[in-house]
Amino acid sequence: MSAAESIGRRQFRLLIVDDSNIMRRRIERSQRFEELAVVGTAGDGLEALELARRTDPDLVTMDLTMPQMDGIECISRLIAMKPSLRILVISALSDKATAVQAMEQGANGFLHKPFTDRQLNDAIAELIS
Amino acid sequence: MQFSRSDRNGRLLIAGAAAAIAAVMVLVLIAGFRLATEIRASVAALQGTSVLQTYPAVISQQLTALRQRLQTLEYTGHVHRELTRTVRNFNLRLAAVERRNLDPAAIRHAESLWRHYAPQLAPVLAFSGEPYDDTDTGSSLSARGRKYYDQVRQAGIFAQTSAPVLHGALAAVSAALQARTSAAAARLRTLLLAGVLAVVLLALAAAYLQLSRARQQRAAREAQDQTRDILKTVREGFFLLDADYRIGAVWSQALTHLFGRSDFKGLAFEELLRDKVPADTLATAVKYIKLLWGERARENLMKSINPLGQLEVSVDNGRGGKESRFLQFDFHRVMGPKGVKHVLCAVGDITSSVLLARELQEAQENAHSQLDMMIGMLRADPLQVSAFLDSAAAGLKHVNTIMKEPARTDAEFRKKLAGLSRELHSIKGEAAALSLMSVAERVHRLEDMVAELTAKSELTGNDFLPVVLKLDELLAHLRGVREMTARLVSLKEGPAGAGTASLPQLRIGEAREPQAERPGRSCADLGALLEQLAGKLALDHGKRFALKLTGLTEVPAGYLETVKDCAIQMLRNAAVHGIEPCEARRAAAKPEIGEVCLQFRRLDPGYELVFQDDGAGLSPEALKEAAVRKNVLTAEEAAALDNRAALALIFRPGFSTRESVSMDAGRGTGMDLVARSVYGLGGKIGVSTNPGRFTRFKITLPAAGAAAAVA
Repeated sequence: MSAAESIGRRQFRLLIVDDSNIMRRRIERSQRFEELAVVGTAGDGLEALELARRTDPDLVTMDLTMPQMDGIECISRLIAMKPSLRILVISALSDKATAVQAMEQGANGFLHKPFTDRQLNDAIAELIS
Repeated sequence: MQFSRSDRNGRLLIAGAAAAIAAVMVLVLIAGFRLATEIRASVAALQGTSVLQTYPAVISQQLTALRQRLQTLEYTGHVHRELTRTVRNFNLRLAAVERRNLDPAAIRHAESLWRHYAPQLAPVLAFSGEPYDDTDTGSSLSARGRKYYDQVRQAGIFAQTSAPVLHGALAAVSAALQARTSAAAARLRTLLLAGVLAVVLLALAAAYLQLSRARQQRAAREAQDQTRDILKTVREGFFLLDADYRIGAVWSQALTHLFGRSDFKGLAFEELLRDKVPADTLATAVKYIKLLWGERARENLMKSINPLGQLEVSVDNGRGGKESRFLQFDFHRVMGPKGVKHVLCAVGDITSSVLLARELQEAQENAHSQLDMMIGMLRADPLQVSAFLDSAAAGLKHVNTIMKEPARTDAEFRKKLAGLSRELHSIKGEAAALSLMSVAERVHRLEDMVAELTAKSELTGNDFLPVVLKLDELLAHLRGVREMTARLVSLKEGPAGAGTASLPQLRIGEAREPQAERPGRSCADLGALLEQLAGKLALDHGKRFALKLTGLTEVPAGYLETVKDCAIQMLRNAAVHGIEPCEARRAAAKPEIGEVCLQFRRLDPGYELVFQDDGAGLSPEALKEAAVRKNVLTAEEAAALDNRAALALIFRPGFSTRESVSMDAGRGTGMDLVARSVYGLGGKIGVSTNPGRFTRFKITLPAAGAAAAVA
């Protein structure tokens, strides 16, 4: 926390959760926010929980279909751990019921795969504003 | 809400003005009453003082009269009494004026004068008795009389000088009282004027308020009228949801049409949709509505995850039936000072646009399928296609016959469905074998409809109407295919007809040439058809196998159709169920490429068709389990079956071990179709298997039917 807040302006710690390595890299490279520092990337829900415990992120991008533990459960566990956490769901699942379920568990935003850089940055901007 | 609040304020202001008028009037009355009392007292005092002013002169006169009577020795008694009365009255009146205490300074002056005057009079008044001595010689003043006379004289002298002074002092009191009275009268006049002015002003203010209130009310009424008109006219259903997810008191009239009810007030949103949408959609919708009240619900986000963006609902069509409509729900949060106050819900009927979109999509699919069809036909042998079209036409004719059969009971309808299902399945298989996917998909959809009907608890003749429509569509499509084939054939033959001599002439749209005339050709067609189907099945299901065909030239014309139908079905089963994926074959130490053999041979008498694959074989236990799962058998019945009987399960209608329905398998109509055709020709069918090694079907056909079946 102390390192992140070393400069005057608020810094956000970002954790990227997605089972696809390509997608993780894509998100990491595409985000254009100076106040965003990527503190970790996880490939499944369990790893995400472990990383979140260690790195205390402020913002998480979350895939829904993942091995070990799916995104919905991971969201509810993360929110239980840190209620102020902001979670952006990035998923290829298009049914609205899943999106509503994710929101219900505590997600703050929803972005459909595939997405453009602009859509990603707009979605993140809404979350950190 | 806004209107009524300002209305209340207006009413309060008017009430305030009325109260102020009343208060002013009460104040004016009280003050006026006090002033009038004061004036009345002053006037009374003034009257008293006016009378008092005369007393000093009267006293002086009476003293003079007394002195003269004493000098002339006349009787003095009555004069003395009058004087006494006068003085007493003066004292009384002076005290009365003093008591009123209206102008203390002036009174005190008069009083002090009187205090000097009164002692001079006191000895005179104190005298009593007779002042004369009466003797025979006449009367004379007695010693007391002389003294009395002196006192009267002295008092008279004093009175001579004091009376005017006292009169003056009393006149001053009178003047002061007059001034005071007129001042009070002036005050009273001012007070009355001010009171009237205040009342007039307040009344004016009240009138203004009343006027502006009336204007406001009129404006509010107009606004209400306009709101009502809007709600009556808009085509969307509008309503507000409160924090308990209930509909408010106002909604647009369109909502009544959309939902076929009008009791919306206080209705829970969940109730609005209950019985109109599937339970899981309803649950998601309710969760979504709850989310709208949350802090995280931003408009854009919520719009993007709206599960009610295109909702299919079934509503009463007003003729006792149900019809499907597509509704679009939009939600907008109405913010109040304490967060979300309401959620505005707009419901639109987008049925026509959804249907239009579907039509467009269908048109697109049709275009695609025509293209597919063309490509498929370019690949396929026109002769095969033509043969298929003929057999499909015959099949559909049969279907038509089935449909026309009279039916009343549920069982009869179900029998129809079963017949329909088998025919369709057979057509689909051939179409797929020829890669006529547009035809195969249409038949597949028809099969879906038939399956849906089969699942229904009760059947009526009306349930078949959509099927008939789809059948017409299929027939139209088949005609299209036929025309296309004709064009392709003419294209292939070329305008010049070069190099076409070897191609057999094909008259499209006419009955097929008798098979018997060119058996070799038909058998070669059958072989090509099966090989093509095998290639396609292998590709579609990711299997690898070789198809070995022997003795097809032996198939008599009369059995060609049956052999084809059976071969297609068994080949499909072998590809989908029998042959294992390569990995599984490797793991089982079997050759990677599977082998499927079809052998036809003439017996004496009759014919025999043996179909064998070296795949996974059939597991009696798995078949029994599937039969129980599909309610074909009870668990007890299944347990009682031996292996032979278990294997025979595959010939039962509606039986399949596949859970999902795909183009090639899983409908459960397959081997029963084969068995029925074989039994229909008086033949027999048997199955044998060795789990993990092979499945073998053996069909025997009698010699007699070989020629008859073709007729």
